[in-house]
Amino acid sequence: MFAAGCDVGSLTSKAVIMKGGKIIESVIIKSKARPWESADEVMGMALSRAGLTMTDIKRCVGTGYGRDKISFIHEAVSEIACHGKGARWLVPSVRTVIDIGGQDCKALRLDDKGNMMKFITNDKCASGTGRFLEVMAKVLNLSLDELGEMSARSKQPITFASACTVWAQADVIQHLNDKVPIEDIAAGVNNAMASRMSTLACNIGLEKDVCMTGGVAKNNGVVNALEKHLGIRIKRIHREDPQLAGAIGAALFAAEKANGGVI
Amino acid sequence: MRKETKEYKFDWMLWNTFAAASRLKSGTQKEYQAMLKYIPYFNRIVDTLLGTGEPGQKFIEICSKYMENLTFAKERGKKTAITTFCFSPSIFYAMDIVPICLEVLSVMMTFIYKRGTAEFMDYCNEVGFTETSCSSQRGTSGAYLAGIGADIDMFVTDTPGVCDTNANSFAFASAYLNKPFFQLDMPPDLTGERSSEYHREDFKALIRFLEAQTGKKLDPERLRENLRELARQDEIIAELEDLARMVPNPLPISYNLMVYASRFLFAGMPECTGVLESMLKIARENAAKNISGLSGGVEKLRAFFCYIDHYAQNMQLWQMLDGNGICYQGNILSHFWSHNAPHVAEYHKEEAAYNIDMTDMDSLIDSVGIINSRMPMIKSIRGPYDAPNMWLEDTLGLAKMYKADLIVYNGTPGCRNTWGMVKLLARDTEKAGYPTYIMYADAFDERVQSWETTEERFMEFLKVRRLV
Amino acid sequence: MMKDFFEASTALNNKYVTQWKKNGKKVVGYTCSYVPDEIFHAAGILPFRIRGFGATDTTIGDTYFGPFICSLPKCMLQLAGEGKLNFLDGAIITPGCDSMRRLDECWRKAGSDVGGVIPPFFFHYGVPHKYSDYTIKWLTEETRRLITAVEEHFCVKITSDDLKKAIKLYNYSRKLLDRFEELRTLDAPPFSGEEALAVILAGTTMPREEYNVLLEQFIAKADKAPGIKNRVRLMLVGSANDDVGLVRVMEGEKAIVVADNLCFGSRFYSDQVEEEGDPVFELSRRYLGHNDCPRMYGDYRRRLNILAQKVEKAKIDGVILQNIRFCDLHGSENGLFERDLEGKGIPCMRLEREYGPLVETGRMKMRVDTFIERIQQRRAIA
Repeated sequence: MFAAGCDVGSLTSKAVIMKGGKIIESVIIKSKARPWESADEVMGMALSRAGLTMTDIKRCVGTGYGRDKISFIHEAVSEIACHGKGARWLVPSVRTVIDIGGQDCKALRLDDKGNMMKFITNDKCASGTGRFLEVMAKVLNLSLDELGEMSARSKQPITFASACTVWAQADVIQHLNDKVPIEDIAAGVNNAMASRMSTLACNIGLEKDVCMTGGVAKNNGVVNALEKHLGIRIKRIHREDPQLAGAIGAALFAAEKANGGVI
Repeated sequence: MRKETKEYKFDWMLWNTFAAASRLKSGTQKEYQAMLKYIPYFNRIVDTLLGTGEPGQKFIEICSKYMENLTFAKERGKKTAITTFCFSPSIFYAMDIVPICLEVLSVMMTFIYKRGTAEFMDYCNEVGFTETSCSSQRGTSGAYLAGIGADIDMFVTDTPGVCDTNANSFAFASAYLNKPFFQLDMPPDLTGERSSEYHREDFKALIRFLEAQTGKKLDPERLRENLRELARQDEIIAELEDLARMVPNPLPISYNLMVYASRFLFAGMPECTGVLESMLKIARENAAKNISGLSGGVEKLRAFFCYIDHYAQNMQLWQMLDGNGICYQGNILSHFWSHNAPHVAEYHKEEAAYNIDMTDMDSLIDSVGIINSRMPMIKSIRGPYDAPNMWLEDTLGLAKMYKADLIVYNGTPGCRNTWGMVKLLARDTEKAGYPTYIMYADAFDERVQSWETTEERFMEFLKVRRLV
Repeated sequence: MMKDFFEASTALNNKYVTQWKKNGKKVVGYTCSYVPDEIFHAAGILPFRIRGFGATDTTIGDTYFGPFICSLPKCMLQLAGEGKLNFLDGAIITPGCDSMRRLDECWRKAGSDVGGVIPPFFFHYGVPHKYSDYTIKWLTEETRRLITAVEEHFCVKITSDDLKKAIKLYNYSRKLLDRFEELRTLDAPPFSGEEALAVILAGTTMPREEYNVLLEQFIAKADKAPGIKNRVRLMLVGSANDDVGLVRVMEGEKAIVVADNLCFGSRFYSDQVEEEGDPVFELSRRYLGHNDCPRMYGDYRRRLNILAQKVEKAKIDGVILQNIRFCDLHGSENGLFERDLEGKGIPCMRLEREYGPLVETGRMKMRVDTFIERIQQRRAIA
């Protein structure tokens, strides 16, 4: 019995197909302007690669900002709940999940059974979201992957004066003009991100094990800096791409419901 | 909060910092210069203060003393009270309570720490306090909320009716830590029988509260002793303010800061008087020679700060002003409205000022009550800004008295009550002929706007308005 | 009838106000629930709660207020500046909070810039921040000062008898609203939170006698209604909200708001005014003593207990602690409520929002939906 999850975000859309608790296929694409187009495309790609059609899918759950607009889902579940569920599958011992996506960031705590206890989100501004890193990477003429790797090479990371993406951008340009080594600027960017996120995470109280999901979880610079700020080890996700956490959670909710379980 | 920040009590560390700084000049000049290299984040502030000679030395010593008092309060069997800068500590000293002034500690840390009080401010947010609240309280409050400071016995404030975000931070912290709380409430009117009676009854209630907390009755003699010293301080401050009217102003750039900081820490105590006397000696000498207090010796502009200063690390605001020949003509924080203050004489607003009457307990209470109600901000930010005795009148009067060339507003984004009408104030002060600059920085948090940008914009204003 | 309530709560110059003005009578606006409506009723003036609802931008508000100010007074000033509050013959400003008290000078400045946008009677009503014998005394004197000013400006006389009659009338409303609140606590509440807010808001915009009649009819009908079942029961706490649309977004299909601690909610009508004795004193005592607002510093524990009691009485599943951005009073107290209510096992969710046009519905809905899922998960386990 196949179950599927579709996570339509503002920057990326993800689809996951599962059977028997294992991932059969997963796809991540850049989102289109309209969420239903993104959903159709990403799910279409996943089905095609798996050699399946939508009729093979017993139940599909949608999540993310565009979830209500997806035509082929049976149910919409909040992305926060899906991220929690997905993170639990990715790291069975996880109790605190920190997710930094393209346009928002959130932190949630799970109980020992994986049920959501508390959550907090912050999307009032770009700082503390993937957008901050995107903007800075562009100014530094780096890819996001390169930005993440820079921290390890830095000898003296700069401290950003401002938490604001716009002002920080101006600061980066100033540092470049002053011939500050790029790795030091990049490390400063990663640290600023981590610092902002740590305040949010501490707000809900930290409990081991802690993991990170979302695209920014792939930035080692941010993850390492966040560990230092929080004073707690963050378990790295190796099982799958951490960006898939929401879609995985959605697929798991779908599977549970299809099997007569409760959410 | 980083692990290392939680290792030591922050106020104990501050005490050690100031205590060490107070010994810097006890060696040779060569040793002194060598030591400065080891304190890269606050060597300029130390040098600026110690450069003033005895006043700076004494000022650093009293900062150390203040921190020592609160660090060892419990060991010495004294109660501690978290309070605010605009609450005169006279009553605390008279009752042997050790005051812990949140904002002054925030200033100290913003001056001397590389990251200022960022971690403590963020900690407030972690425990549920709003991040939009004023950074001046958050900077220190966060440390106490995290339990990495002295034991706190009570919270006492006098900002309801004047500054919500201040009063609210006290209310939050006291509820969070489950400690007793007292507020002196300020009516919108400063003068008049109703307001006087209100201040009186409220202060009596405060005394009852403090007596209940300490288990001791207020000794009128102790209060008299403090108020006598306070009166002496008022005389010195009045003379300093008068000298500041001279062109050129003979007061060195950091004097205003030392006046208000000393008073906030040690009102009515010999520690403050010592600093003031020392300052007056040098101010008189400079005045006799008709020389400028600026280190460059040439006064190009006179700036009146209508609100508070910017406490960027290492006293960068003062460095900027001094370096550009801009004479600092004071701000709202250094005017206490004693009857003998020059601005009182200038305005003939006797009713807005205070007199000290030590005849009996009732008159003593009335006096401290009225002294408190005339503290900076408590006096002039309570009612509509354009009402009699309120902020506009004070600003224009002081700017005129000090022959200011421009007026500067600086505060914090958390200052709801001034951001609620500062544009109106600026319109009126511009209309009165004073180029007025509104700084959008945060006096205690460079993450809002870096000092470099703040300085750049300030200088740009001067250029655009053809003041330089 | 619901239509009447909705119209009264969403239209600024509604039919009641229009008719009132047509009859040559006066309307005085006030910004804060600490102002005793009874004074104006006794003077034959319609007391009207000033709101910012309906403002579509804050260009005028932003001209006078600085940037770090909550949007509530900005929206009020916006409406005033656009001339939409020109039906007011007077306005009372109170130090509800710093942002709101600065509406005084901002409005006056706007009034000097643009003719006609400030009503001819403009009064600053100083309300203390704590409850004690001398603060009640202050407020009593302040209320007498207000009465004198109203009498002088509007050429009326407000006698003790007039006040007592007004108190009796408003007490009757309070009794009706107590019954109204009780109905919300039923297992199957007869009306939604959105409807409840419309009913309460309507009372701030129309003559009290007519309002009481509508209320009586509403309650009689509600007593017989089948009720709304199987919804997650929420309590709404925090900054002022006068937008029924916001409650609609929160309730959606799965929840119902059955209790609140809001300024435009239960705080507005809780507790009677003593009908014996000096009416001015009794008004001051009730208005100062029974308004559970964080502006009354140092009173957190009492407010927490009130919330805990409401949770129990209304069988609340979850509490939404919302605040307008820059509202530090509610925003911070919500932090304490979250800690202590969660400590008692009551799920809470904090939400920061803007006051004004309802534009963040997607973001809000996502959070509320998650919160509801969390509650449903808890129920399923229990």
